[in-house]
Amino acid sequence: MSPEPEKEMKGKRDKPEKGSPVDRAGGESRRQEVDAAPAGEIRIGAFICNCGTNIAGFLDAKDVSDYARMLPNVVFSRENLFSCSEAGVTDIKNAIKEHKLNRVVVAACTPRTHEPLFRAACEEAGLNKFLFEFVNIREHCSWVHKGERDIATQKAKDLVRMGVARATRLEPKEEITTDVKRTALVIGGGISGLTCALSLARRGFMVTLVEREKELGGLLRYVNVLYPSGVSAGTFVASRIKEVKKSSRIEVLTSSTVQNVKGYIGDYVVSVSSKDRKSRDVNCGVIVVATGANQLVPEGHFGYDGKKVVSQLQLEGMLRQGKLKSKRIVMILCAGARIRERVYCSKICCMTSIKNATLIKKTVPGASVHLLYRDLQCYGVANEEAYLGAKAMGVRFVNYSLENPPVVENGRVRVSSPLSGREMSIETDLVVLASPLVPREGAEVVSRMLKVPLDENKFFLEAHVKLRPMDFATDGIYVCGTAHWPASVSESISQALGAASHASIPLTRGYVKVEPIVSELVDEEACRGCGMCAAVCPYGAVEIVETDKGPKARMIEVACKGCGVCAASCYKRAIGISHYTDEQLDAQVRAYLKGDE
Amino acid sequence: MCSGRVDPSLVMNTFLNGADGVFVGGCLLGECHYTDGNLHALARVSVTHKVLSFVGVNPERLVMRLMSSAEGAKFVKYTTEFTDLIKKLGPLGKSEGLEGDELSLKLEVARRALDSKKLKWVIGKKVEFSDKGNVYGEVFTEHELGRMYDEIVMDECTMQEIVLRGREELVSVKELAKSLDTSPERVLRQLVDMRRMGMAEIAEVQGRTPQWRVRAEGRPLSARLLCDSVAVGGAPENPQT
Repeated sequence: MSPEPEKEMKGKRDKPEKGSPVDRAGGESRRQEVDAAPAGEIRIGAFICNCGTNIAGFLDAKDVSDYARMLPNVVFSRENLFSCSEAGVTDIKNAIKEHKLNRVVVAACTPRTHEPLFRAACEEAGLNKFLFEFVNIREHCSWVHKGERDIATQKAKDLVRMGVARATRLEPKEEITTDVKRTALVIGGGISGLTCALSLARRGFMVTLVEREKELGGLLRYVNVLYPSGVSAGTFVASRIKEVKKSSRIEVLTSSTVQNVKGYIGDYVVSVSSKDRKSRDVNCGVIVVATGANQLVPEGHFGYDGKKVVSQLQLEGMLRQGKLKSKRIVMILCAGARIRERVYCSKICCMTSIKNATLIKKTVPGASVHLLYRDLQCYGVANEEAYLGAKAMGVRFVNYSLENPPVVENGRVRVSSPLSGREMSIETDLVVLASPLVPREGAEVVSRMLKVPLDENKFFLEAHVKLRPMDFATDGIYVCGTAHWPASVSESISQALGAASHASIPLTRGYVKVEPIVSELVDEEACRGCGMCAAVCPYGAVEIVETDKGPKARMIEVACKGCGVCAASCYKRAIGISHYTDEQLDAQVRAYLKGDE
Repeated sequence: MCSGRVDPSLVMNTFLNGADGVFVGGCLLGECHYTDGNLHALARVSVTHKVLSFVGVNPERLVMRLMSSAEGAKFVKYTTEFTDLIKKLGPLGKSEGLEGDELSLKLEVARRALDSKKLKWVIGKKVEFSDKGNVYGEVFTEHELGRMYDEIVMDECTMQEIVLRGREELVSVKELAKSLDTSPERVLRQLVDMRRMGMAEIAEVQGRTPQWRVRAEGRPLSARLLCDSVAVGGAPENPQT
């Protein structure tokens, strides 16, 4: 094969012109091309983790380690019992010094949990942390190929070879640092927003609280008492509102909505418009979404009329005002939930119903309460106790099925219970429907303005369900309370405190470091300023600026999330993604397909 | 890495390096962690399918599936289906009846077509066109967009194949039509188009057959437009002459 393609590959562009038909024909000589290292000696150390038996129990880690040592540019390899242990990390640090390693590959578990640790080890040994490459041979290999030892070992070798190929092409990077304005904006003045704003203010940060309605308090204003404390919801939320209003660090904007959001973590400009005042711009470092949820008005379910057949929230109102006259009450759960149009479980309605049923039993002498359910969601010890308590008090729990739902007639409810196998006809003067919490109508608008995702039910979608439950993938924006998912008051409060705590990290530091995995204009010459990149960027992180060489794309690094849509759209191949360059990706693909022939 | 990062030429490089199948996994619709990267990925994959089938490679070899990170069972199902399918299809080229240099050439045609300015632009605009519409607010249906893509795919692939087949020797319409498996008229039309873009010219005439010389790059756009307007419009009419 002629050497030309190789030269081309190392040319000015990030993206090599590879894979011409001629290249493909020359299978043998390809090996060298794959293995060729950029200028300067590359010295890779590979560490293969046994993870106790998690990895070594299902594949031959020793064999993988021996194999790794044979790979190009690998000067050192070792198998560890636990690479993440103190001993394992020390081992990596020592090897970097002893063997003059300038790249480190660890084949172990998931970067989600352990990448920071190994990166830190590299840094402590004087190696730029972006010269570290993580290969996942646990979740991606040993755990999914249990009982296939040979295949799992071979796949682990493939993965390590790919990791080594990428490591060879890694470049040192510096994190991007940007200043953070030490103020926060909280959208939504319900219990979550109030709690979050107070928590941030107590930490010493200025907070702007934006509430769409005339009054603060959200849904709690319509709730009777809180479970399990029995405290009046109105009194409780009023005390929070009082504290918020008293705080010198919180500015409350009621009857106001967010109209537009610009900027990025540390420097957001949010324009807020209100009915009585002109719109104004709020400059803030972080944003918390606490827009809450609404109770579904169960129109069209079980003969809802708002009088004889009411919603749970209406019942709360009656109880609060002492207007409950009925004595024979039937509650129907899952009214409008877990059906084809709305598949999710709203989680809190079971406990709300049990709370109200218990309260009626306690306060209305001679009252009968039937509670018709499909499944009961009483998670946790306290909830289970409340359920048993309600049973002991005489609340009748009757199971029904989705296929054969209860029928509400004038003065009675007919239900057939699959558990008892009986058809019952219950006389009643009030039917209460427990309907689910549904996302606020404005959620979609807020999601578009903030460029944060919603899930399929239109609730806000967090960055990671377990590891980053209060964050969005977009830095500097947080979520709490029922905007995220139906939650009880205590859960909303916990989440609000969690969001405040997380939001206060950049606020306290006053700066943020952003991973340098961002798009970059790698070939300014080639860029024609056509603007496709700016058009497809979901974060507004690309702008077209006029330069002496004509219009060119300019990346706003801190706003970029590194998704790479712009790079894939550029017909001039002028855009690359740093740390995930086309060359690195191609090298991995080639190492997989060509490496072990 | 977002599925929206998957450039069709990355996919084609993978095939060129010997992969028999390529699987792209993305987030569920409406749940993209990068807002709408998966929609861009779907648009790119659907056009890549068109290009693959135009050059004679089974488009089923490129599979895109959507799932959330919580759907392990779905991932297993999709992956198993994918590997079973690729095993059934066999090595790249086998079920297509393509091999050696011919296969490489077809794949290279596909790669270059997908990398072309025109296709990149229309793919990039797809999400916008089918959501917000064009600058006149006209929203296009899948069907309308599909027809437009078909046309551009045919043009680009034909042009790239002419360029590749003619990069070392002069070519004639007749030979090209035979190797492209299309009509001489179609080839001639493409060559005339290419001549207008400065990518083709008649080098000599052998017997009664013109021999064309083709180039991968054309003249700069501005010069081209000028030439075109002169060629089409001619000199302004002057009643005096």
